[in-house]
Parts: sequence; C-alpha cells; structure tokens
Amino acid sequence: MRSWVFFVGIRDRQISNTGLNLPLFVSGAETDIGGRDLLALVAQGKESAMDRCIKEYAPLVWSIVRRYVQNTSSAEDVVQETFIDLWRSAKRYDSSIATHTTFVGLLARRRAIDHTRKESRRPRLEPMPEGDSLNLASEGPNALMKCEREVVRQALAKLPEETREIFILHFDQGMTHPEIVEWTGLPLGTVKTRLRRGLIELRNQLRPANSPSNPQTPNS
Amino acid sequence: MTDQEIISRFEELDAGRILGDLDTGEMDEWEELARDPRCQSDLALELTAAALEAEFQDTNKIELPPGLLEELEKGTADFVVEKPSKKVEETVGEIPLWRKILSDKDTAWAIAALFAILFVAQTFVSDPSTSTPGPPSTQVSPEEASKTLVAEAKDLIRAPFEGGGDYKGMSGEVVWSDERQEGYMSLTNLPVNDPKSKQYQLWIVDPTRDEKPVDGGVFDIGLAEGTTVIPIRNPLVIRDPKAFVITLEQPGGVVVSKQEIVVAAANS
Repeated sequence: MRSWVFFVGIRDRQISNTGLNLPLFVSGAETDIGGRDLLALVAQGKESAMDRCIKEYAPLVWSIVRRYVQNTSSAEDVVQETFIDLWRSAKRYDSSIATHTTFVGLLARRRAIDHTRKESRRPRLEPMPEGDSLNLASEGPNALMKCEREVVRQALAKLPEETREIFILHFDQGMTHPEIVEWTGLPLGTVKTRLRRGLIELRNQLRPANSPSNPQTPNS
Repeated sequence: MTDQEIISRFEELDAGRILGDLDTGEMDEWEELARDPRCQSDLALELTAAALEAEFQDTNKIELPPGLLEELEKGTADFVVEKPSKKVEETVGEIPLWRKILSDKDTAWAIAALFAILFVAQTFVSDPSTSTPGPPSTQVSPEEASKTLVAEAKDLIRAPFEGGGDYKGMSGEVVWSDERQEGYMSLTNLPVNDPKSKQYQLWIVDPTRDEKPVDGGVFDIGLAEGTTVIPIRNPLVIRDPKAFVITLEQPGGVVVSKQEIVVAAANS
C-alpha cells in the first residue's frame, strides 16, 4: 500500500533532498494564489485563473474519474464536464468550508459516479445534483470543517482498524466492492456497511465540534 | 421505525449513494425516503468522500491523455469574461502566458526581438540617479535596479544563497527591502533550464504571513556563465522574510511546492 503523505507545517523542519535544512512546504490543498482565491477569480470569468485551474487540477480530476470510468474516451468527456461544472459553480465556492481540492474532487466524483450509473443502465436513480446547483455558502457551519490533509488523516486514524483497512483498499488501492470482498473474504454487505458507516463517522469527526449537527454515529 | 431510525437509515443509504454502491432495492428505498421531509441529504458526507478521494490521489504520477489540456482550455470559451491583462497576470501568475509564448515555435523570433528591443531601450533610459523608491521601472534592467536598491534601501536584507545537491556549485545572494517591497536575486553557475521542461521558482518564507511560503515567481536561467539578476515578484506583501528558497518545478510553476528538487536557499 502507498504510504501516507504526511502533512508538515512550515514550522517543522527537515533535511531536504539537497541536504539543506529547510522548512517543509505545506503539501495539503491550497486555497489562494497571489493572495486572492483562485476560484473567486474563476467565478469572475478570468481566463488566466481558469488556465491555472486546469493546470493545477486536471491531474486530480483525471485521476478520480479514471477510477470510475474505464473507457478513456468517456473519461475525457467526464473530465471536460467536470470542468464545465467547475466554471459554473465556482461562484458558490466557500473557502471556509472546503479546500479547492475537496471542492474539485467533489465535482469530479459526482460526474464520474453519474456516468457510471448511466452506463450501468440504472436510469431510475436520480442523478446527483448538477455542479451549478452546488452552494457551499448556504451550508453554513454545519457543512464540514476544512478538509486539510492532516485533518483527514487524523480522522482516518481514529476509525476502527477493520474499517480503515476497507477505506484504504477502496480509496487508495482503487478496489471495487467485489474486489474488496475477494481480497478480504468479507461478505459484500459487510463491506458496504463498513464503508457507509465509516464515511458517516468520518463526516462526524470532520465537522466542527460546535456544529449543531454533529451526531456521534456509532461505527460497527 | 422511530424518526431517528428513519433518519439514520436514510443517512446510511445516502452514504451508499455517495459511494455509488446502492443496489436496486436500496435505490428504491433511498428515493422513497428522500421524499420524506425528515430526511435531508448532507453535503458534508459528500465533501468527506471527496476529501478522501483527493487525499489518496497521487497526481504527480498522472499522465494526462494527449490533447486533453488543450480541450479543457477550449472549454473555457463560454465562461471567460476577462482575457489576461497585465494586472491579472501579476495576480494569478504571469507564467501561463509565458508558457504559451515559449511553447509557440512561430513566435520564438518575436521573443528574441523583444529582448533585443528591451536591451537597446535600457541602455538609453537606465540612469540610477533618477530612480525613486518603489518598484523599478520596467525599463530599468534588474542589474541596475538591484544596485539602486542596495544603495538606497535603509532596511536592506542581504543573504547568500547556498546550493544543495547537484547545485552546490552555484552561488549568489538575495537582496530585499520590506519597506520598498522590492528584491533581487543574483545567481551564478545555476544550470540553464529548458522552460518547456522545468522552471525555477522562488519561494519566500515569511512566518508573519501564514504557514505557506509566498510564491516569488518563476524564472529561467538562459546564461551558462556569468551572473543573472532576477527580480522578485511577490504578489503578497512580505513583512519579515526569513528565508528565500529556489525550487525546480514544472513549467509555469506550482501553487504549492513539494520540494522535490530544492536548488538553493538563503536564510536571512
């Protein structure tokens, strides 16, 4: 399994590849460029910000989409749809709720999962909301604390070992549910339940402690 | 079922919806419960899944399909309100424009001509005696502007660069003035870079700002010998720089450096 990328703030120091003693740069998601929020500039229709956004997030979007969409041509279409969503929904982005990376990741997942549903001929299920309906600003303090990498990693570490293992198999190794069943020998229902309840538990941990919607959902 | 049991069941199904693993029966159940006013989808669940998804992606190793970036750039056409201007370049980073120019073989001659014109122009207008505090005129060469800064700045910071690893042979220094928000790097024996492959990027470590180093701009080294003076392009106000770090990054630079190749550092 891939090792975790440890977040280290700039106050920490390391011996870098060159032997120089330097502060580590934050490896988590960033929120601004040049002192101004990149997505705010995108929302204003600034082409240079969009170009920067594409350069910065196309690999992430492609990576996420490819997990769900195997066909290369279809995956490219989904990536393009994701960025169209991003241009449309940038004005609703709220940096106090999600990092750029999380926001872009959310849009990519939505598009990819919707595509998968359509491909699996399950038209009855309502599609996930379009990106332009996304409004983080309206979520207020109940939504989520900012998902910096360190916070996510700490929350994951608190999950029960058996749940954490399935999360890593699914999100890190990219295993499908049947593959996890084959790998772990667990029944499909158990895998699904652990993933679902684990997700809820993580959500609860990532929510601000003072949020009125912070139920402690037991993990089983 | 009690209200709480209904809400909990919906929440679990909603997590399944977000994870994309609902079976047909569960889809029916989710749809029915979704119509119940007691049941509300929680965006935070989806944000959690997205944060996890992003956390595990190693985007450094991702190779995009050929042409995808160009297609994505074309896709912005309907949403662009403002084309890049000098102001926007300074705010967002002027590198994309440079990258576009440098990647265009047909305009290579134009770049050479531009530099030639600037070189000729600077010989006529660079007069240190006329310099005033503040950012230097674009008609003054970085070398001259640096000298002026050193001569005039009352709060001048000078720090030598120390190369590391493959760059131990380099030398140089950085000069900086908080008051004037102006600074220059003088770099010697830094290897010439191919802007289409890699570019140098400066980072300014200012603990008074926040934990993230400030992007000091990307630059290229075009001379194999001699000293190159590079102006520092700080988009944010620098109050108390503690270090200046040069990394080697992808063309156009990066927003957050992973310090994979640290070229040199200067501690003030």
